[in-house]
Parts: sequence; structure tokens; C-alpha cells
Amino acid sequence: MRTIAILLAALIALPFSASGQQRVVFKEVAEQVGLKFQHYNGMTGKFYLPEITGSGGALFDFDNDGDLDVFLVQGNVLEPNTQPGNTLFPWRGPESPRGKLFRNNLNTGKLSFTDVTQQSGIVATGYGMGGAVGDINNDGLPDLYVSNLGTNQMYLNKGGGKFADVTKESGTDDPRWSTSASFFDYDRDGWLDLMVVNYADFTTANSPACYAATTAKDYCTPRVFRAPGNRLFHNKGNGVFEDVTVSAGVSKDFGHGLGIVTADLNDDGWIDIYVANDGDQNQLWTNQKNGTFVNDALLAGVAVNRNGQTEAGMGVDVGDVDGNGTDDIFVTHLMDETNTLFLNLGKALFEDRTREAGLGMPGRRFTGFGTFFFDYDNDGWLDLFVANGAVQLLPELVRVNNPFPLGQPNQLFRNTGKGSFVEITDQAELQPLEVSRGAALGDVDNDGDTDVLVTNNNGPARLLLNQVGNKNHWLGLRLVGKSGRDMLGAQVEIVITEKNTLRRRVRTDGSYLVGNDPRVLVGLGANTRVPKLRVHWPDGTVEELKDLQTDRYTTLKQGTKISPATAQRRNEKS
Amino acid sequence: MSFKSYVAPLRRCGRNLFLVCLILATAVAVHSQVPEKTLKPPREGLMALYWPNLSDLEVSVREQIKEQQNALIVVAKNPATSTTELSEAFGKLGQLYHAYQLIQSARDCYFNANFLAPNDFRWIYLRADIDRRVGSMEDAIRRYRLARTLRPDYVAVPVNLGNTFLNLSRYDEARASFLAALEIDKNDPAAHYGLGEIALSERNYSEAIQQFNQTLAQVPSANRVHYSLAMAYRGLGDLEKVKAHLAQQGPVGVRVSDPLIDGLQDLVESERVHLARGKQAFEARQYAEAADEFRKAVAANPDSVTARINLGATLSQLGDTQGAAKQFEEAIRIEPGRVNAHYNLAILLAGQNKHEQAIAHLQSALKVEPNDAGVWSLLDRELRALVGLGRCAEASDWLHRIIATAEQQQNTELAAKLKASLKLFEHSPCRPSAP
Repeated sequence: MRTIAILLAALIALPFSASGQQRVVFKEVAEQVGLKFQHYNGMTGKFYLPEITGSGGALFDFDNDGDLDVFLVQGNVLEPNTQPGNTLFPWRGPESPRGKLFRNNLNTGKLSFTDVTQQSGIVATGYGMGGAVGDINNDGLPDLYVSNLGTNQMYLNKGGGKFADVTKESGTDDPRWSTSASFFDYDRDGWLDLMVVNYADFTTANSPACYAATTAKDYCTPRVFRAPGNRLFHNKGNGVFEDVTVSAGVSKDFGHGLGIVTADLNDDGWIDIYVANDGDQNQLWTNQKNGTFVNDALLAGVAVNRNGQTEAGMGVDVGDVDGNGTDDIFVTHLMDETNTLFLNLGKALFEDRTREAGLGMPGRRFTGFGTFFFDYDNDGWLDLFVANGAVQLLPELVRVNNPFPLGQPNQLFRNTGKGSFVEITDQAELQPLEVSRGAALGDVDNDGDTDVLVTNNNGPARLLLNQVGNKNHWLGLRLVGKSGRDMLGAQVEIVITEKNTLRRRVRTDGSYLVGNDPRVLVGLGANTRVPKLRVHWPDGTVEELKDLQTDRYTTLKQGTKISPATAQRRNEKS
Repeated sequence: MSFKSYVAPLRRCGRNLFLVCLILATAVAVHSQVPEKTLKPPREGLMALYWPNLSDLEVSVREQIKEQQNALIVVAKNPATSTTELSEAFGKLGQLYHAYQLIQSARDCYFNANFLAPNDFRWIYLRADIDRRVGSMEDAIRRYRLARTLRPDYVAVPVNLGNTFLNLSRYDEARASFLAALEIDKNDPAAHYGLGEIALSERNYSEAIQQFNQTLAQVPSANRVHYSLAMAYRGLGDLEKVKAHLAQQGPVGVRVSDPLIDGLQDLVESERVHLARGKQAFEARQYAEAADEFRKAVAANPDSVTARINLGATLSQLGDTQGAAKQFEEAIRIEPGRVNAHYNLAILLAGQNKHEQAIAHLQSALKVEPNDAGVWSLLDRELRALVGLGRCAEASDWLHRIIATAEQQQNTELAAKLKASLKLFEHSPCRPSAP
């Protein structure tokens, strides 16, 4: 299936230029382009677990102008009667801490962002955790779900840059400690449903004192709190969601949930759910095609690592990293554990091949959170990004009086195309040492390569612009339904030849606490044409398209083959 | 004083303790200017030792480490100290740091100890353990190999070397190391497990099953091996055996016999560490190990109510009800308002049909936590037990007393609930249950 792509990988030895000089993969530009955001965690020195858990954000085109805008989730104070200005790292903003919406002004010719929170109607002032994106009313406008420690918020995109809080009338609240969430159509009824992952039954009152092995006070593990269970909402199509957690069967197993990704993991055409749990077995909720799910994680080999150990699952993503036509799973974990790569063997069976893939030792050094597969160099193989940041005080940073001693470097791994990854963090210039949590992917400057939004705890948001990917050829796709909604869950087979087919999917979920670019960006290496493309729509129908134009974005509308009007030309990097 | 120098201690303090913390922060900053924070190299070739900041550590641990540091200082400052004595002093401090996971400090101590006594197996082996933990795998391999030449009989060396190779996917070298371990001890379960892991990775499922079964034969309690077995049977397509082994899988793994590393655990005199280990063992249903850890926690801090309650609960699991009751009673003596101590003791007493005493403890618990559902449930059961014995007047009397307590606490909701229960008792025919 992947013979040609292997050749491509051999030919393209990024990140080195033709002259042999090393190229920098990313350039951090957040502040430069107006994305000024400082996360606030409200910490007071009492080691409350939520302080170090958030927060995330979302890359989404809320104004449908063809470029990705940004929402960034904010923390707040945790204890009653505490003022944001009186915490260990005091809040210095002119207004109270709140989530921020930034509009991308790329259509003016240059990448820049404008804070449009005030006029947007988004009032995200809770203790924020994550953002999830999906068009819940099929109006072609992406809506936003904000998870919090406490009441969550569903923001309906009304158009014109305005949002309305429809949490109550939509029935999508979950007052517990929610983390990641995912929009997907599990019952093929044409409406996006919602799964919300919950972490721990925490209150400031029930938080015990916890200690590190040194006997110094430190953050607790989630296991000292009860696991509250996740929640599945079925979209009834009339603006109202029904809580089907129990009837769908997803309440049968509990865990301290942090990450979620939805994909057809057993290749039966129906979307399954994978939940990464912190310290508990992960769950693979296999879609039974009748509105219910069964947790098959143990048998499938994705509940625990290869030694049968439960690990501290944080972020998660799926993608076909070995090019065998099935989606593999990657889960990030605590330092001293490895992150885990579960390769899909087909027939819903997976195998932990972390160390064979070269991902074992590099992951042991850090605590991973946000993560995703993406083809940073557009060579046709899915590479890997991992956002890191500790959850227990790092002695080496305590020793040098670091005021927030949890910082760890983020990592970039290149897929060699031979079943393994090579860490190329040193060449990536990812960002200074920070406490990263969320990592969202998307082509922010529409130049045909994948950029990265990193959200840091008690630190600034970072926007990493890809400097190398579009040196190769690429195919950009936006897959929409008849209503214009992004068809989350659709799968694309990019047929270079019948023996070399790439498999990608439309999603906004995965990683940790973030919403991602729903577009599919496929690296083609030296290939200048895509002879055939097969789209597997979430409702089970399949369409085949021929001779797609490369190096540009094309919108594919279900049932209409192609929509040239919305195709965009490749832009030069700003 | 820079921002950084005082914000770190402040971070550990709540807002309500602001004044106290500020004093602590100042003290730390002033203390940081004292040059004794570093032990200068007492001999050429040694490295300077940085004293780690112990201010956040448990008091008993702090004292324990300071004592060992002082012992080293005395030895280091004495020109008559022999090389062996000095090496020993560095090594001992390193072991103590190692035991409390002060890894960098331990590493520096082992460097000096090893420099002074290059053929002392202990310092090379322990340093290799640290290398492995921090991910310096090539250093670990080099040191394990060296350690092996010094103690060819120490089975943990080839096992750990094998595991290091395994982590690096260097299966041939891993296999050779595990086989070397089996030459020392042909039944070593960790070596068999390692060979099983290699076989599973190489998809040699039959060999994996054989090795995992040998592991389980040595350590039947290592229920995590069942998961590995399940995956091996999955590879063979034997679904029935897959399900059977998955049903038995659990959290207990296999470890090699390693007196040096195990000895580090014995150095720990921390209530907190023993409590954490005890809880971990308890969750894994390893009650004997849990009781041992909780006993050590009590020894480290005899006034620890948590340690005593946990020890009592564990002894109860082991069937030692008398020992358990003693721990709960001691916990109550130290902290009369501790609900869990009263509750646990009530459960024990109820099991011995000492209903009155059980109810008395439940009443004490309710004075502190009037809405504790578990306490209410047990109380209801105990009152019904009294009724079942035909002792309705006593049951009613207890209920009246508890109602009075609730009313004193102005807990009207609770009092109303109790009065409803009272009606139930008064209107039910009071006769003993059939035996």
C-alpha cells in the first residue's frame, strides 16, 4: 500500500535544505501576530489539582471566512473569597479572567489576530478547561463547547461573529469537572452528538494533603478523588440534546478521564470512542450500531500498556502512522511512564509497539498532555507532536528556585516511514521551557502546512508557524455536508496509486482540551497529482473523485462531488 | 531578595498562613547566603556536594538526612579519615537521598563514593539505577556491565541490564542478559518475565506463554502477568484463554530480588512514605505488605491517627480484629472526633454483636458528621439488630438520645428524619427475629 510513499520519504530529507543547511521547522509568532494571552491558574499554594490541569483552546473558523480563528480557555480563582490579584501569580489583566476569542485577519493579506471576545457574546469566566468545536444545528457555522471545573457552556454560533449561550436549553451542561469533549455523529442521523469526559470529583474542601516521594507537599494524583464518569449527549436535531449516558452503555466503566478521540477504530464504518484515563484503564467504546457502545479496550489491547499496567492517560490521538489503512492510537502519559503507541493490527486488535517505534525512552523524560499526528513536512507520513509539562514539582527546577517548577520541553518526532519515529525537537524551535497542556493543529496561515497552537498553564499561548511543510506538495480538503457543516468523522482515502493510499479523517477532537482544524491536509511529497480520492461519509455513503488539484484547498460537498467556488489558492507565508 | 527567591516558599503556603510563610521565605533567602550549603571536595578529584533544600520535607526525614549530612561533614573534615571511611560516608548519604528520591543529590554522592572506592559494587550499581531512572540508558548499561564483573552472583544486575536493553528494543542483548540471570537463579521470575516480553514483542507467542507461565509458577500473586498471557494467547487466536486470563489480570507485577534496592526502602523513616506505600499495597489487596507499611508509619509517628486507622482497617482485613480494635481505640484516644475511627470500630463491634458499643461510637461519629450516609446506614442496621433481639426499649432509647443530639446541633432536617425512624420502631411489633 505504501511502496511509493517509502520512496518519497527517502527522497525528502527534511528538515535539511538542498544545500544541506538545517532548517528550523517552526517559528513562534503568537505575540507578533496579536495573539496575546496569558493563562491564569489561580494557584494559592495549596496544591489544588485543577491548577495544573488546564487549559486548552480551539482553532476554528467561526466567521466562515476561510481562515482559522482562535479561542483560548482561561482559568480563574479556585477558592471562594479569593481575589485574582491576590494569588501566587496574581492576575494583572484589566478585566476579570475569561476565555478569549481572536479573529484571524488573514483575508486582509497578512496573518494577524484581533481580540473580538467582547462583541462575541462569549462570557467564559468559569474555571476553564477545554474547548470543543462542532456545528450542532447544521447551519454551516461551527459552535463552541467550553468545559469547566463546574458548569460547562455551549455557545451557538449565530453568525456575524455573535454567539449565544444555549447551555440550558440545549441540555448539554455537566456541572462536574469536565476536561476534553468530542462532537461526532454516532448514530448516523446527520446531527452531531457530544461526549464530555470528566476527570475527578474535586472540591477545594475535599482535597487532601498529598506528598511527593521526598515527603514534600505536592499535587495529588486524581486517584484520591472519585471518578465521576463521562457523559454522552444525543443531538435530537431540534436544538436539544438528550443525556443518553446510561442507555448508550457508556456509564458502565468509570475512569479519571482527560482525553477523548472518536474514530472508526474497528473499520466497520461506525464511529467508536476512545477515552484516555489518568491512572485507570482506558476505554474503547465500540459502536454497536444501535445507539449503544461496549467497552472492548482490554481485549483490543488498548486499555493498558504492553505489561498490563494502567498508566496516566492524558492526551490522545489516532492516525494511520504505518500506512496499513487502519487508525493507530497514541496516548501521552506521566514522566517515568512511556507515552504509548498502539498499532492497529486490524479486526479491532491493537498492539503496544511504543519501544519498537522509538517512542519509549523519549517519552519517559516528560509528562505529556496535548498530542497529535500530523505530517509536518508533507512527506506523506504522519509525524508526531507532544506538548509536555510536569504535574509534580521537578526537583531540578525547585533547586534553582524556579517559581513554577513544572516546565518541560515539547517534542517533535519525524516518522521515518520505516515503522519508527526520530525525535527532532532540537531542530524544531518549539518554544521556551513552559508548562504546556493543550496542542491544537491547523493551517493557520493557509499556506499548505500544519501549524500548532500550544496552550500553556500559567503561561502564554504560543503559535508555532510551520516553516517547512509547504516545500512539498499537498492536498487540502474541507469536507462538508449538504448543509455546509464540516463532516466530522468522514474518512478520506487519497489514492496515489492503488498500492499507495493514504488514509486521513475529518475531526476536531483528539489531543488534550482542544478543538482542531476540521480540514484535512495531506502531504504528497513529490507527487503533483492525486488521481483518485474516496470519501467515506459518516452516514456510510462513499463517493469517489478523480484528478484532484494539489497545493490548494478544495471544499468537497457531500453528494455534489466538488465545490470549486470555495477552493482557495495557496497563499505565500506571511 | 529577588522575586524568585521568595515566591517558591510562598507557593507552598496558603493565603491564611501568609505571615508565617513570609517569615519562612525570608529565612530561606537568608539561609541561602550561608556558604555551608555546599560541601567542598575534601579530596582532590571529588565533586562539591550541594545540600538539597530540606525545608519542605517531613520533620523526621529532615532530621534524619541532616544527621547523615553531619556525619559526612565530620568524616570529611577529619584529615585522619581513611579513604574507605570517606567513601562509606558519601555512599551512606547517597543511599539516604536515593531512598527519598533526591536523585540528583544521590547521584553526586555516589560519584564521590565510587571515586574513592572504584571497586565497591554498591556505588556503581546504585548509580546505574539512577542512570536508568533519569533515562541515561547508555550510562546505565556501562555501569551494570561493570557491576557484573564485581558481583557476578548478584541476579538483579543482569535482570536490570536486560530490562534496560528491553526498553531500547535491543532484544538480543536483553535476551542474553536474562539468560545470564537464569544461570544465577534458574527460577528467577523477573528473568522469565523479561524473556516472555521479548518473545511477545517478536510475536513468538508459544515461547512467550511458556516464559509467562514459568513466571507465574514462581509468583502466583503476580496477576499482571495474566494480561501478558492474554495478549500471547490472543496472538495464537485462542479467545477462550484470552478471556480467562483477562479475567484474572490485576496490578501486581514481578520484581527481581534486589537486597541493595530493597535496603533503601528500609532507610525510610517517613510516615508519609509508608502511608502512601501502605495505601498502594492495600489497593492491590496485598494486606500483609500494607500492614507492614502502616506499622512503619505508626513507628515513624505514633500520634498519626491516619496511620492507625489504616493499620486497623488492614488488620481487620487480615482477620486480626483485636489488633484492629486496638488501633482504632488508640486513634480515638489521640483524636476523639475522628469519624472514620469511630465508624471502623463500630463495624468491628457490630460484627461481634456488641450492638450497644457500636451504636455509641456511631453516635460519636454523628456528633462530628451528622450527615454521613455510611454512619447512618450502619446505625440503622444496628438499631434494627437490637429490635431483632427484642431489645426495643434500648433501641428506642438510643434513638431518643441521638435525636436530642441532632436537636442540640440544630440539625432540624436530621432530627425530623430520626423522628420518622422512631415512629417506625414504635409502631412495629417488637419481637425477636427468627434465629
